[in-house]
Amino acid sequence: MKQLFAEIFIWWHGQTMGTRLFTALNGKFVGEDDAGNKYYVSKKDPKKRWVTYNGPAEASAIQAGWHGWMHGRTDVPPTEQNYQAKAWEKPHHENLTGTAAAYRPKGSLLEDGKRPNVTGDYDAWSPE
Amino acid sequence: MANIKVDGQEIEVPDHYTLMQACEEAGAEVPRFCYHERLSVAGNCRMCLVEVKGGPPKPAASCAMSVRDLRPGPNGEAPEVFTNTPMVKKAREGVMEFLLINHPLDCPICDQAGECDLQDQAMAYGVDSSRYQENKRAVEDKYIGPLVKTIMTRCIHCTRCVRFTTEVAGISELGLIGRGEDAEITTYLEQAMTSELQGNVIDLCPVGALTSKPYEFTARPWELNKTESIDVMDAVGSNIRVDSRGREVMRIMPRINEAVNEEWISDKTRFIWDGLKSQRLDKPYVKKSKKLQAASWNDAFAAVSRAVKKTSADKIGAIAGDLAGVEEMFALKGIMEQLGVNNLDCRPAGSALEPSKGRASYILNAGIAGIEDADAILIVGSNPRKEAAIVNARIRKAWRASGVPIAVVGDQDDLKFDYEYLGKGVESLAAVAAGDVEFAKTLANAERPMIIVGEGALTGTAGKDVLALASSIAKGSGALSADWNGFAVLHNAAARVGGLDVGFVPAKGGLDRAGMDKAAAGGDLDVVFLLGADDIDMEAYKDAFVVYIGSHGDVGAHAADVILPGVTYTEKSATYVNTAGLVQQTTRAVFGPGDAKEDWAILRALSAHLGEALPYDNLNQLRGALYAQHPHFADIEAPAQEDAKAIEKLAKVPAKIKKAALSTPINDFYLTNPIARASAVMAECSQLAAGGVNEAAE
Amino acid sequence: MLSDQDRIFTNLYNQGDWGLEGALKRGSWSQTKSFIDKGRDWITEEVKSSGLRGRGGAGFPTGLKWSFMPKVSDGRPHYLVVNADESEPGTCKDREIMRHDPHHLVEGCLLAGRAMDAHHAYIYVRGEFVREREALQAAVDQAYDANLIGKNNVHGWDFDIIVHHGAGAYICGEETALLESLEGKKGQPRLKPPFPAGMGLYGCPTTVNNVESIAVVPEILRRGGSWFAGLGRENNTGSKLFCVSGHVNTPATFEEEMGITFGELIDKHCGGIRGGWDNLLAVIPGGSSVPCVPGDKMRDAIMDFDGLREVGSSLGTAAVIVMDKSTDIIAAIARLSYFYKHESCGQCTPCREGTGWMYRVMERMVRGEAQKREIDMLFEVTKQVEGHTICALGDAAAWPIQGLIKNFRPVIEERIDQYTHNAKADGAVPSIAAE
Repeated sequence: MKQLFAEIFIWWHGQTMGTRLFTALNGKFVGEDDAGNKYYVSKKDPKKRWVTYNGPAEASAIQAGWHGWMHGRTDVPPTEQNYQAKAWEKPHHENLTGTAAAYRPKGSLLEDGKRPNVTGDYDAWSPE
Repeated sequence: MANIKVDGQEIEVPDHYTLMQACEEAGAEVPRFCYHERLSVAGNCRMCLVEVKGGPPKPAASCAMSVRDLRPGPNGEAPEVFTNTPMVKKAREGVMEFLLINHPLDCPICDQAGECDLQDQAMAYGVDSSRYQENKRAVEDKYIGPLVKTIMTRCIHCTRCVRFTTEVAGISELGLIGRGEDAEITTYLEQAMTSELQGNVIDLCPVGALTSKPYEFTARPWELNKTESIDVMDAVGSNIRVDSRGREVMRIMPRINEAVNEEWISDKTRFIWDGLKSQRLDKPYVKKSKKLQAASWNDAFAAVSRAVKKTSADKIGAIAGDLAGVEEMFALKGIMEQLGVNNLDCRPAGSALEPSKGRASYILNAGIAGIEDADAILIVGSNPRKEAAIVNARIRKAWRASGVPIAVVGDQDDLKFDYEYLGKGVESLAAVAAGDVEFAKTLANAERPMIIVGEGALTGTAGKDVLALASSIAKGSGALSADWNGFAVLHNAAARVGGLDVGFVPAKGGLDRAGMDKAAAGGDLDVVFLLGADDIDMEAYKDAFVVYIGSHGDVGAHAADVILPGVTYTEKSATYVNTAGLVQQTTRAVFGPGDAKEDWAILRALSAHLGEALPYDNLNQLRGALYAQHPHFADIEAPAQEDAKAIEKLAKVPAKIKKAALSTPINDFYLTNPIARASAVMAECSQLAAGGVNEAAE
Repeated sequence: MLSDQDRIFTNLYNQGDWGLEGALKRGSWSQTKSFIDKGRDWITEEVKSSGLRGRGGAGFPTGLKWSFMPKVSDGRPHYLVVNADESEPGTCKDREIMRHDPHHLVEGCLLAGRAMDAHHAYIYVRGEFVREREALQAAVDQAYDANLIGKNNVHGWDFDIIVHHGAGAYICGEETALLESLEGKKGQPRLKPPFPAGMGLYGCPTTVNNVESIAVVPEILRRGGSWFAGLGRENNTGSKLFCVSGHVNTPATFEEEMGITFGELIDKHCGGIRGGWDNLLAVIPGGSSVPCVPGDKMRDAIMDFDGLREVGSSLGTAAVIVMDKSTDIIAAIARLSYFYKHESCGQCTPCREGTGWMYRVMERMVRGEAQKREIDMLFEVTKQVEGHTICALGDAAAWPIQGLIKNFRPVIEERIDQYTHNAKADGAVPSIAAE
């Protein structure tokens, strides 16, 4: 129920009521990935494919295995080909820019450690 | 002389010229990879093909064919050569294509990019696309030492490196093994090369197969400021180019100077630059309650001034070290004269050389290039390989070219040329002087004999005897004629000849370094100024007030009561005189770190605190004063011409022969001065040379 | 047709005794002293008048080559070097001389040595020739024991022969690479000029000759240059050892007069082409490094230096490789390309890089896995190698492929078409070369 209200009133946050209706009318469920995103294909046109996100709508949340199917590079969804993620296909990681957990290089003011050497650096002698 | 027509233009060239030289004489550019002026001709890259009229219908390699190999036309016309015909262009394009098919497209990640012969010539002779559909060849990288990095897939088999190491450096550790496509350059056993000149293969390599390991991936050639300067790692005064970016020296390259280093530099010269960035003195220090503490310049000067004013002039001394420039020695001498101090010395090792005996008595009179003219060489108490690797390469060049007979008195080491070993001590030298050994006859029969005396042989108790004996051998063998002066002192520090020239030696009644040692230990020397002098026994000065002026925190800084931070040779314009008496000047490439100041400026400021300020406010005024007193410093790069009478006078000194071994003072080529001791690269080389790490790191 | 009394190598098949006794019976070592006494100019003139051309492949007049040696020594010794590094695929003539008629060679060395004022001869024997070296060494030892050569020998010309064993590299058959190898260095050709006659072995004047060129000299001197010149055609005189291999009924090595036609050669000595003359596809008439000639042009071709040039090939070492129509000519030439890629010394760029490139393209052409435009590209690559290298190995690698493209281009195109025709959508292609 909460989800339904959210879809109606905070439409900018995720999928909208319209998408839900459209999906219910035209969509054929194809599969769901590990993150809970659901993938649909149009009943009329197999080239038309879409996804409803589990959580905020963010295109990069589509998992690596589904990416090819979503973008029409292949017609075989991972559910049909016994898909196993390769070692380099990492799970989706949300963009942390602007948050406290954002990436900062070594030696940054907000980070510990020593910065890498740059032009003009030198080691000063000290008596100790 | 022979006449030859190049591209229709008739010129006259000496008939030993190669076609390539003749073409260049006529202004036609000939591309090349394997050919190098100072190495033997290999003729294997085939890039320098030219068309010879009337010859066989195929192009000829211009580097390998000499003008006299060409036959004149039927009516005696000059033979004709073309460098710009379609046939030549096609041939060169063909060779370029072959070179490129197995050359990786590494330019974006290659250190050579921007100064790569293959890149440059591909612009002229390359095609824009490749017809080669096959897999490219890949070659495993080799470990050839801590200085030279290999990316062997890029190798185009020009064999310049092989020819350099076997011909110039005298090591047969690098070679081409395998054949055909599988040919590879390697050190056979994947060991480090043992030459002091190995860094030169980096410059020789026309592609990025051999690059500098310490410099790898740090800078691009086009972002570097190039400053022409002089090296101070040894007394050769090699001409160098300091490549810097911002405030940092990124690398050091050789410059061509036929009279000094041709185009080679030693590894110490080339790879010293990481020492310029570590252990730096970047602020003044003053010892307070037995601990050195950072201080302001004024506090430091005040501390020196207090110490000087507490004592008398005869209890003050000054010693100049191995890297001091002429300007700062002149300034320090000026202060000492004002204070009335007589205790000066620029010979920390304590050699018997005296400026009062004439300039000819302490320089390499014939010049470094003059070694090639010598027809007999006697080396006394020196290991030129360690003391001046470039001079050693010159001796080897002379030996290879003419088989000049060479004999050595002193250490018996592998010098990369054959020599007759006469013995270790002064007595062996006396035997030569007395004509008791066969080599004395060789010297006497020679027209231009040369006697190279190492600075190390002139130190110690027998120093004066060695000088006298060497002079008398020079005189006796006719080395001192009107047009040849074969008496040669091989110094091992850049500052030494300049110091002697400027007269930085005990004034009348003054103490030399040994005398100061004794006086300080006995409490008779209260204040001592060390101008970058680190290679002395600091224990003797522990009760004296030590003022250290220098760039690196080494032995001297640890023993100091006041440290005045100076700068290194890349950070100042200073005059140095090489062992052959050649006056040269460094140029400032970067600024010194922190509060460090140019040494002469420190001394000028100090003089104001000690009493009367020195009479110059900038470097030009200082040089004006210097040139007024010592006019020869103004003749920059003018070869020294000194009167040989000075040596003849020395020869009259009767020799009381002591038994003393003559040996080089340098035990470790890589660690001879404070900058080298601060360098991690030099430390690694030193460890490797000592047999510490033999195996490849990986 | 060579008559039996004109035959030089009378023990080619080792029917008699190869040693000194047998050689003496066959006439070797007779009159040798009188030739030596007549002096160097007489020997050189006689060889010149015989019209003998070098038997090692290039066909340079032997007498002329000898006359390049300095007339008056400048203090440096002169050397004769005999090139017994017979590695050209298809060639098997020198080994027969060394195994079965070595005294011809030993005597020839002495006479040739006299003709160039040399007191030393080095015979550089190919690494793989073990029995040949043993026989030759034995013959040299016999000659030493009989005081025919050596110090103070019966001929009055001090002469030493050193038999040197190579390590088995094709490139060491190139004369300057051979000298390098003999000096103990890596076998890589030298730059010319200077030529060996001015600066050869150990920097001294040197002449390098093929085994056969030297071995025929004693017989030429005994019977006179005019006898030798009377055999064969003008400029292509004398008899020659031919080595016929491949698809003939009886492959053989035999001595024959120059100027014989190919048809006669095959029918007389080799029992005809396997499957008859109609079955002849192509012939490589002079060892692997000359271009192949299509069979129809070959039957009437004259087997000498000039005759074969007319059909676009060369006599080379007279190693005739016959291929009938069962041969995959592309694969055959690709195999030769592999040989040259393997044997390239790696010194100069065009050969080092070009041989590998040519071989790889040839390998694809064997399967037909290529574009037709690549045929032209391959031809251009061979042209880029040819004439741009230090020695002739680059040319030798280029010529067989040029011969193939010139004469058998339709075959290559057909192979490519076939490959394209058989190509499947998924890229899997049945290999033709596999069967």
